[in-house]
Amino acid sequence: MASTPELLPYQRIREDLFRPLSGISRAYALTTAVAFVVGAAGLIAWGYQLRRGMGVTGLGRPVFWGFYIVDFVFWIGISHAGTLISAILRLTNAAWRKPVTRAAEAITVFALMIGGMFPIIHLGRAWLFYWLLPYPNSRLLWPNFRSPLLWDLTAIVTYMTGSVIYLYLPLIPDMAQLAEHNTPWRRKFYRALSLGWTGSDRQWHALERAMKLMACLILAVAVSVHTVVAWDFAMALAPMWHSTIFGPYFVAGAIFSGIAALILVMAALRKVLRLESYLTRRHFDNLARLLLLMSLLWLYFTVSENLTVWYGNDPKEMAVFGARTRAHYAPYFWTMVVLNFVIPFVVLGIRRLRTIANTAIAAGCVVVGMWLERFVIVVPTLANPRLASASGSYAPTWVEGAITAATFAAMVMLYMIFSKLFPIIAVWEFKPHEQEDE
Amino acid sequence: MEHRWGMAIDLDRCTGCEACVVACHAENNLPVSNPEQAAEGRTAHWIRVDRYYQGEFPDVKVKYMPVLCQQCDNAPCEPVCPVYATYHNPEGLNVQVYNRCVGTFYCANNCPYTVRYFNWFAPEWPEPLELQHNPDVAVRMGGVMEKCTFCIQRIKRAKEDAAQEKRPLADGEVQPACVQSCPAEAMVFGDLDDPQSKVSRLAANGRATRLLEELGTKPKVFYLERAK
Amino acid sequence: MDRRGFFRILSATSAGALAGGCGRNSEKLIPLLVPDHEIVPGEEQWHPAVCTECGAGCGTLVRVMEAVRTVERNGEQVRQPIAAVKKVEGNPLDPVSGGRLCARGQATVQALYHPDRLRGPMKRTGDRGQAQFAAITWDEALALASDAIAKARAVNPGGIVALTRPLLSNRSLALQRFMEALGAPPPVVCSIADLAVERKAAEMAFGWKGLPVYDLANANFALGVGADFLGGWASPVYYARQFGNFRQGRREVRGTLVQAESRLSITAASADRWLPLRPGSEPQFLAAVGRMLLDLRLARNPEHLPPAVLSAFQSADVRANLASCGLPENRVRDLVQALGESEAPLVLGGASIVQTNSLAAIVASHCVNLMLGNVGRKGGVLPPAGPPSAGFSGSPAHEAMKGARVVLLDAVNPAYTLPPASGVLDALSRAGMVIGLSGFVDDSSAFADLLLPAHHALESELAVVPAVSPQPAVSIGMPFVEPLYDTRAPETVFSGLARSLKLEYQPVTSKEVVEPFLSAGTSFEDAARQGGAWSGSSKSSQAKSGGQAIDFAAAAFDGDATYPMQFQPYLSLQFHDGRGSNLPWLQELPDPASSAIWGLPVEIDPATAKMLRVANGDIVRVQSPHGGIDAPAYIHPGAVPGVVSMAVGDGHAHYGRFASGRGANPLSILAPVWEKSTGALALGATRVRLARVGSRRDWIQFSAPDREERDFGHR
Ligand SMILES: Nc1nc2c(c(=O)[nH]1)N[C@H]1C(S)=C(S)[C@@H](COP(=O)(O)OP(=O)(O)OC[C@H]3O[C@@H](n4cnc5c(=O)[nH]c(N)nc54)[C@H](O)[C@@H]3O)O[C@H]1N2
Ligand SMILES: Nc1nc2c(c(=O)[nH]1)N[C@H]1C(S)=C(S)[C@@H](COP(=O)(O)OP(=O)(O)OC[C@H]3O[C@@H](n4cnc5c(=O)[nH]c(N)nc54)[C@H](O)[C@@H]3O)O[C@H]1N2
Ligand code: SF4
Ligand code: SF4
Ligand code: SF4
Ligand code: SF4
Ligand code: SF4
Ligand SMILES: [Mo]
Repeated sequence: MASTPELLPYQRIREDLFRPLSGISRAYALTTAVAFVVGAAGLIAWGYQLRRGMGVTGLGRPVFWGFYIVDFVFWIGISHAGTLISAILRLTNAAWRKPVTRAAEAITVFALMIGGMFPIIHLGRAWLFYWLLPYPNSRLLWPNFRSPLLWDLTAIVTYMTGSVIYLYLPLIPDMAQLAEHNTPWRRKFYRALSLGWTGSDRQWHALERAMKLMACLILAVAVSVHTVVAWDFAMALAPMWHSTIFGPYFVAGAIFSGIAALILVMAALRKVLRLESYLTRRHFDNLARLLLLMSLLWLYFTVSENLTVWYGNDPKEMAVFGARTRAHYAPYFWTMVVLNFVIPFVVLGIRRLRTIANTAIAAGCVVVGMWLERFVIVVPTLANPRLASASGSYAPTWVEGAITAATFAAMVMLYMIFSKLFPIIAVWEFKPHEQEDE
Repeated sequence: MEHRWGMAIDLDRCTGCEACVVACHAENNLPVSNPEQAAEGRTAHWIRVDRYYQGEFPDVKVKYMPVLCQQCDNAPCEPVCPVYATYHNPEGLNVQVYNRCVGTFYCANNCPYTVRYFNWFAPEWPEPLELQHNPDVAVRMGGVMEKCTFCIQRIKRAKEDAAQEKRPLADGEVQPACVQSCPAEAMVFGDLDDPQSKVSRLAANGRATRLLEELGTKPKVFYLERAK
Repeated sequence: MDRRGFFRILSATSAGALAGGCGRNSEKLIPLLVPDHEIVPGEEQWHPAVCTECGAGCGTLVRVMEAVRTVERNGEQVRQPIAAVKKVEGNPLDPVSGGRLCARGQATVQALYHPDRLRGPMKRTGDRGQAQFAAITWDEALALASDAIAKARAVNPGGIVALTRPLLSNRSLALQRFMEALGAPPPVVCSIADLAVERKAAEMAFGWKGLPVYDLANANFALGVGADFLGGWASPVYYARQFGNFRQGRREVRGTLVQAESRLSITAASADRWLPLRPGSEPQFLAAVGRMLLDLRLARNPEHLPPAVLSAFQSADVRANLASCGLPENRVRDLVQALGESEAPLVLGGASIVQTNSLAAIVASHCVNLMLGNVGRKGGVLPPAGPPSAGFSGSPAHEAMKGARVVLLDAVNPAYTLPPASGVLDALSRAGMVIGLSGFVDDSSAFADLLLPAHHALESELAVVPAVSPQPAVSIGMPFVEPLYDTRAPETVFSGLARSLKLEYQPVTSKEVVEPFLSAGTSFEDAARQGGAWSGSSKSSQAKSGGQAIDFAAAAFDGDATYPMQFQPYLSLQFHDGRGSNLPWLQELPDPASSAIWGLPVEIDPATAKMLRVANGDIVRVQSPHGGIDAPAYIHPGAVPGVVSMAVGDGHAHYGRFASGRGANPLSILAPVWEKSTGALALGATRVRLARVGSRRDWIQFSAPDREERDFGHR
């Protein structure tokens, strides 16, 4: 089963995929500029928060966690796009994956960079974040490894390292090619990064083995990372957080949102970089099926989470359940259900409707829906603590809004830059004489 | 350990007068908020008097319940702190090292009693209100978590006094500010390890219960329920 | 008294000896890692003092340590160490406070260090009520005051009026003597918390001068009627202590409290049973109780009752009376039975919310106590201890002020506590000269021509006779901190004025106030050192019944049928008569009924709220024939249908940054209706109508849920 790109002459492929690296279109410049402005606004907001104090947020007692933690979980979730998908596809040798993998792996790295910021942004004394790091210091002070936050830190740092390597390895052969004839500084740049790749059989074998190995490792890490993120909540005694289902629930949700993000990014690249002949209907169709599958899985988890609580009818948990489904937070909850299940199920379930545009729309819904899911998990529980008299509510401020918006801008900007430095599709994988590991 | 401090609160005596609340403010340099911050749920009350209505008119009853840090022996707030800023001291107190706190809020989320309070801004006192500050208690900086300490500074003082006079600490000699103030004498503080102490005897009383006991947090605050 | 208290008194008394605190060689040099600007050397000292936040006059112990104050000295900021008050606690030796204090008593230190305290004497520069003043020197101030007084005196000494508070002390005595020396009428008490009706009733029923003392701690079954004795009534701390022991202080008995009141006050909330009364039906209720006791043959010695009174009870129609109270008979009968059968029954009658017929109610309560034979007995009603306190003159303050040439305001705030309908405001604006002695610019001092700010109580020498005390008692406070500002004790102001007016004026010393209380062999100094004089035994004057008949008249209300609801402002736990509302600690103290902070709501019953489509926090207009106020609504699960209640404390035109302009003053819409015999303002005699005016304004509730079990509707 060969996919369309394989039929094109390799020269053509090379040109198509290397072309975007040079020259800057107006659209490109504009997008990057906008992203930069929004990002800068976010930085200013954060600076303001650091100077005045956490009081500039909408947080309070009892809702001590809000947008920042929601964003954190959301972005870590998005990061599962890449690695997981590309790893799964690599290991299952789905040939159609070729044009998809790098875009996905890039998302992972950027989403992690962004998500990793939030645990710092939400600190009351952010400038002291390094106290969470186990570094030798004069006071012989060590962080507390019993705290899920430390597990988080460990998991995310590991995942970050892994993902970078995992993105980097398949870049090497392409960078070696790019180093051949190119502007002087780029030549230096790519030569340095391609670590003296000559394309010898030994190197090819090493690379293949390395990538296989990383694929296995990264899978394990990715699963563990989002499980640990889930445990930030599940380890707490709070009603509707203290749940055994959270690990898998969060991992499923992560992959779900990850695929959605990947679809969005691919649709964008396809338009912006004119990659219609590489990112074809077929790729989107396959990803759409995956998304549909995950949507069903997500529904299954969501139902079993809420049904058990409702049936169990524990008053403390019912207070949260009620707030989620019938009272203050019901609009968020039901919108989430529509965006994460109803729309994808209809649009992607009916073959006729499963066009690239519609798939992208469904994916967009899921991305928003999954952000809402995190919100619905984090806030209502805190707003309805065990002692009724301590109940409260939460309304975010412009600071939290600006910082949240900025993270999306950051994603765009990073992606824009990346697409100028590296081919967004692995070129060498199309090299005809190159041994496909069938 | 030398002592195991605990408290008993007799709800049959408590009138809901909230003298204990002001006592704590005065003793522990709690920052005064303002309407704007209060509206965001940002007042600091290390002890609060929860009030619930029961039944319908004309048979309405009111339940007043002073809630402070329960000084759990098995405190959910402790393991989650990534920097050991909140930990268990040898006398069973759940203590807070402000210097060490980085403000993750995790302890507050994991306190089933929601008795932890955060410094959302660097606290300010319009001059000359700060003249009243208790020098035995540190003024907390912005960005750190705080909560009831069982008036650890008073415990320390009482011990010093006793040490000075080369005598053991007497029962009832340590009185946290709230306990000291309570007009109805509803609160009793003392050493749970001393079976003779008033608090131990009250804790053994048939009316004694502990808040959210079912969670296994092993609180050291005992509530004596209103007799029927 | 506990040993700790004992040690403290020692440390306080030997304070002089241990200069700089070398007496206690373990002394905290530097507290645990406090920032440097907080380092405070020096040993703590405990000094006895008196609380003057209300008439109860609790004896206090005050913790003093050094603090660093930044003062402006010729242009630059200088840091100057001073002895500062850190905490106010009860004096364990004092029979009233017994070492405990209420919220307001402890918060008084914030009045001492309040940022908006008057720094020195001032002269009016703007119009009356505008509160624009310019600083002047004491000499100028006293000169202005004395010739204003001299002029007035020349015309007619009767034109000089002093309004004062119901607190018997060397200060009030000095004022009395000053007025005497001027040949002016005695000071007039201007307060909604002076318990004049209670005093009058005790005199009528028992011939007692002063407030009766209820020995609650030794009673087995108590029936409270209209007296919120755990809230803002006669002596909150004393009765809270009594209540604690009444409930759990005795091994064999647990006291049972039934509270009959038109509000679910904290007393009613703490009671075992609350009987919601219709406002003003207290006399009918007590008549029914008396009649039932007689019918049940549980009146132990009816013969103690004057025949007229007895027949009044006998002619009471139980069913009709209880109907007018809004109570079904069966709810009451078993309680009366229990009361009558109890070994130590007690009826606490009072008028926390004064009605036109409150006197009858309280007299009736005393008569029921006579029936139960507990008067003067353990666990019963005891006569006021000690020498009969010189009573306060009762003529209503607004009357007294009419046509006054000079008005002296001594720690009173008539512009706030008297309804405008009484004409108090133009009395204040018309008066020749208004002199304010308050430490703050409040609603009334805003009208003053001269502000002669008094020291804070903690800076003054005070000898206070508590309103209620089990034994003859006077609490003494000697100044132990330097006055923070250029203020003066009113006593000194009076002597100063007397001097420049060349009056026959003998300055009052606290010594002479204390003398009658000193037991043999103790000197004033001894008393001052321990914070008061409390002679052990009470010279109990035996009750001799007043004998006149009671008429159980129904209460009179102002406002016709277009004002369907009854309105009752009440003394709040936090702010008392409004004097507490300038203190942030108290503003931040959740209201015991609604849990509101930084602002008080109107309390409305659920049915009325439903009818008006009002939700918690909606703004409602409370309209009386005499004015209207807007305030957030609190739908009170325990509010008596058709009765609207509101705590007093908000709605100050002027009272410092924490109180000015916050909320509405319920007193401001009251009808000028007075309890006949005493001239006390009838707080509960005004009818109102309600309307929802407003979009939901976010009021601040410390804790929103009313119920422990949250339904799905919550949030
Ligand atoms: N939360 C928190 N706890 C901490 C620390 C922290 O940073 N945060 N820091 C820790 C550290 S590093 C330290 S060193 C300890 C300090 O803890 P402590 O040793 O308790 O230090 P202080 O409380 O400053 O002083 C102890 C007592 O010594 C008494 N004292 C002062 N001078 C004399 C004297 O001349 N003779 C005698 N007999 N007594 C005297 C004072 O009354 C004071 O109460 O706290 C430790 N505990
Ligand atoms: N005002 C005052 N001064 C004192 C004392 C006092 O009681 N009061 N005590 C004296 C005594 S006994 C001592 S030991 C010294 C102690 O003086 P310091 O050594 O200054 O002790 P701290 O102020 O507790 O800690 C210093 C800083 O370490 C930070 N910190 C906490 N955890 C970490 C971490 O993991 N990494 C890093 N890099 N920093 C961390 C705290 O936030 C604090 O700001 O102070 C002395 N000086
Ligand atoms: S002071 Fe005592 S009586 Fe008053 S609320 Fe607190 S515990 Fe209850
Ligand atoms: S009550 Fe809350 S803060 Fe206090 S020890 Fe228990 S868990 Fe920690
Ligand atoms: S807020 Fe402070 S004390 Fe609480 S967990 Fe975070 S670091 Fe620890
Ligand atoms: S024990 Fe001390 S710190 Fe805790 S609530 Fe009472 S007064 Fe406040
Ligand atoms: S009862 Fe009155 S006198 Fe006693 S402490 Fe409270 S305010 Fe002060
Ligand atoms: Mo130290």
